Amino acid sequence: MIAVILIKVLIIVALVLGLGAFLTLVERKFAGHVQRRPGPMVVGWHGLLQPLADGLKLITKEDLFPSMGNRILYNLAIILALVPAALVFAVIPFGPEFSIGSISVKPILTDVNVGLLLVFAFGSMAVFAIALAGWASNSKYALIGSMRKAGIVISYEVVITFAVMGPIILAGTLSTYEIVQNQIQQKLWYIWVQPIAFIVYLFAMLAETGRVPFDIQEAEAELVTGFTVEYGGMKFGLFPLVEWYVEVLSLSAIAVVLFLGGWSPINIPFIGFVDPLFFLGPFSGFVWFILKLSALFLLTLWIHWTLPRYRIDQITQIAWSVMLPLTLVNLVLTAIIAPLIWR
Amino acid sequence: MRWANLEDILPTQKLIKSASFKEDKKISYISVSESELIALLKLLKEELGFKLFIDHSVADFPERKPRFDAFYILYNPQKNARIAVKTQTDGELDSAQHLWFAAKWAERECYDMFGIKYKGHENLVRAFMWETYSHFPLRKDFPLEGYATEYLPSLNEVFPGGDLTGLMNYDRMHTPVPTLKDIEITERSRLKKRAQIVLNWGPLHPGTHGTMWFLFDLEGERVVQSDVILGQLHRGVEKLAENEMYNQFLVYTDRMDYLSALCSNQAWVVAVERLLGIEHLVPEKAKYIRTMMCELQRINSHLLWLGTYALDLGALTVFLYAFKEREKLMDIIEGITGARLTISYTRVGGVRMDLPKGALELIEAFIKHFPKELSMWESMLSRNRIWLRRNVGVGIITSEDVYYYGLTGPVARGSGIPYDLRKLDPYDAYPWVDFDIPVGQNGDVYDRYLVRLEEMRQSVRIVSQCINALRALPPDAPFMAESEDPKKLKLPLDGIGLKVQEGEIYSSGENPRGELGFYIISNGGTKPYRVKIRPGSFYNLCIYPKLMQDRVIADAVAILASLDPVVGEIDR
Repeated sequence: MIAVILIKVLIIVALVLGLGAFLTLVERKFAGHVQRRPGPMVVGWHGLLQPLADGLKLITKEDLFPSMGNRILYNLAIILALVPAALVFAVIPFGPEFSIGSISVKPILTDVNVGLLLVFAFGSMAVFAIALAGWASNSKYALIGSMRKAGIVISYEVVITFAVMGPIILAGTLSTYEIVQNQIQQKLWYIWVQPIAFIVYLFAMLAETGRVPFDIQEAEAELVTGFTVEYGGMKFGLFPLVEWYVEVLSLSAIAVVLFLGGWSPINIPFIGFVDPLFFLGPFSGFVWFILKLSALFLLTLWIHWTLPRYRIDQITQIAWSVMLPLTLVNLVLTAIIAPLIWR
Repeated sequence: MRWANLEDILPTQKLIKSASFKEDKKISYISVSESELIALLKLLKEELGFKLFIDHSVADFPERKPRFDAFYILYNPQKNARIAVKTQTDGELDSAQHLWFAAKWAERECYDMFGIKYKGHENLVRAFMWETYSHFPLRKDFPLEGYATEYLPSLNEVFPGGDLTGLMNYDRMHTPVPTLKDIEITERSRLKKRAQIVLNWGPLHPGTHGTMWFLFDLEGERVVQSDVILGQLHRGVEKLAENEMYNQFLVYTDRMDYLSALCSNQAWVVAVERLLGIEHLVPEKAKYIRTMMCELQRINSHLLWLGTYALDLGALTVFLYAFKEREKLMDIIEGITGARLTISYTRVGGVRMDLPKGALELIEAFIKHFPKELSMWESMLSRNRIWLRRNVGVGIITSEDVYYYGLTGPVARGSGIPYDLRKLDPYDAYPWVDFDIPVGQNGDVYDRYLVRLEEMRQSVRIVSQCINALRALPPDAPFMAESEDPKKLKLPLDGIGLKVQEGEIYSSGENPRGELGFYIISNGGTKPYRVKIRPGSFYNLCIYPKLMQDRVIADAVAILASLDPVVGEIDR
């Protein structure tokens, strides 16, 4: 059993860090084509080795430290940013249970019965990292950036918690694996009955991860990348890696689990599932999961490279006066339709 | 635009005893004694409708007593007439800060450059130089080779050996250099901290579009008060103008507003041509070429503005779209003039060279394609909810503010004032082409954005008309003026030997950033005696601290980008 868990840990860590680095290339290519240019083309075939070159460059850079900063908190912030974001992947189910020989394997690290609670607890930890980074840098720009982010995270934590309440009621459990299982049993992706919650969740996801139109904590025009302004080299590189890739990926995965039925194929509500990828046999579930995840990630990129950015007061105003009431309405609606779905 | 006649200013003759009026085609002015200056300005502004503050500066005549000639230039929007007010002083004047805010900044500049003291000025600090600098650079007795007694923290020490010769030997040039302490004193003199933190926004900051140094006194994110420290790009262009020939100064106009070099070139040569009185000699072809190139440059400049503006508000993609089109324009300009940024294409009397073969076809292809691109960007931005929320109602400038702060260009037009010199004071081919002046309604950031977009469309219209006119001209039509009497007036292509008769003129052109005016005093030589440049960006920027009152920092970029200042022009 321990061997299985170790293998799972290795796979997840490799996925999180390797994929995170690779996604920088995906983003740059995507942005390039949105902006009518080819993107990275020089390092490797169509820039395939670009993430390696970037990483090498960042690692070999001089490690600068602001003279009046707090060195302990400064370094702690990086750890606090990376670890919780990576830990979220512990409760994400990547596919259906399968068995190799006599060992049956659930492709989820720990199927704890409070999985979602953990996810949002870890999500809230991110604000500590950013607040510490801003404070320890001893720079006004970094401080303002981190204060902005703290403001956003506080607003949107509330919104995102209320938004996921709907699927939780419908599924009747907090375990991520069970939520997917229930969707398959009820023959219903929750997005069909929870469209409001899904949209609010997407917006909150953009806000939490600091993607456009909510990227005001970085706001390169006014704050020159905000709280990371005093970081250099790979220490700087880790923040966008965590925020823009690892967190987007983990929150997208949670969205897939909550609203898009996890690894299940295309759903016709209340009737059943259609699987055009049936020929993949047991791998079909994993492929569906990855497809849904990629679709959400690309949607994020699309929004990022198209829209301008909001102002801080507008963002918090949207959270409290538009999104929160919407989620409450959604909660009431869910309570009404829930018995129909439980049946 | 005409200069005011006696009828326009009749009451001043009765009410102001010392006022005497001199009418001229090039510049008409009222001379007044020092003591009655403010009364006259007040009368002109409040009773006679000369509301818009254009410029104020000083000329130095060291061998005369009183030594300085101070002049004010005002504009009457109802009658479309300008007037200059002149007075003589020995170094002390009354401040006009209560009449126009813009005068406050102009006075600071005069204090900085000439050492004129202004009585009643609220905060008389230097405009460009640091506070502890003890010289007045634009006075005629300022030694160009430097002060021999001045201590210079030697730049030669940087290079071991120090055997640099000639101009490379900095020891020879005794120019004072500000130390960190000097800069701190300067910073302290500008802003007294009232709120939580003072944020130094600049001098090297991507959001300021140049080397401007803003000080924001912040309460949380709200700006309680703000100020700006200018001068990081001060090169003494006006002093250079006094020591260069007319044609040599042309290249410095490139370097003022470096994003619209062709427009500045054109404004300068038009000013000199008007001073010479040879406007009618300039061939039609040259006029059309200049107008066309100037409008292409205007599109180019507005494209850079649009790109960086969208970038400031987080829309990264529009930036690259705009720069792609700008690149095409740059290539066209490079193909025609040989330069991309500092162009110097115009000459007194025409242009440097004829259009190359195929230029018109290339431009035609561009203007055919460009409006489609523009509509696409507009569909991405103009009705975008986020864009609207960031722009509508932010940084509102009322039409009264336009006069009070001396605003011109798209900033004035965004507030509903149709002040466009291409229509009001047409030069070159502008009287012969057909175009409209877009104006805004509310005067907010969004209106200025719409005005600039529409201006690009109007520029396309002008360019297409110019192309048609140029096509109709014979291919070997002259592009340089021929002097009627070469013994009296030389008009060579290289500009060497061009002499300008005694006289003075204020002439201005419509730059993408506002009115670029040149006040030239000539004493009959090959070099001007004094050139005062009226930069559009300088006066447009002076409303910025007022607009930033009680706004958050995120609006700082939006408002600043909508004023669209270029530091090269502000600092000169």
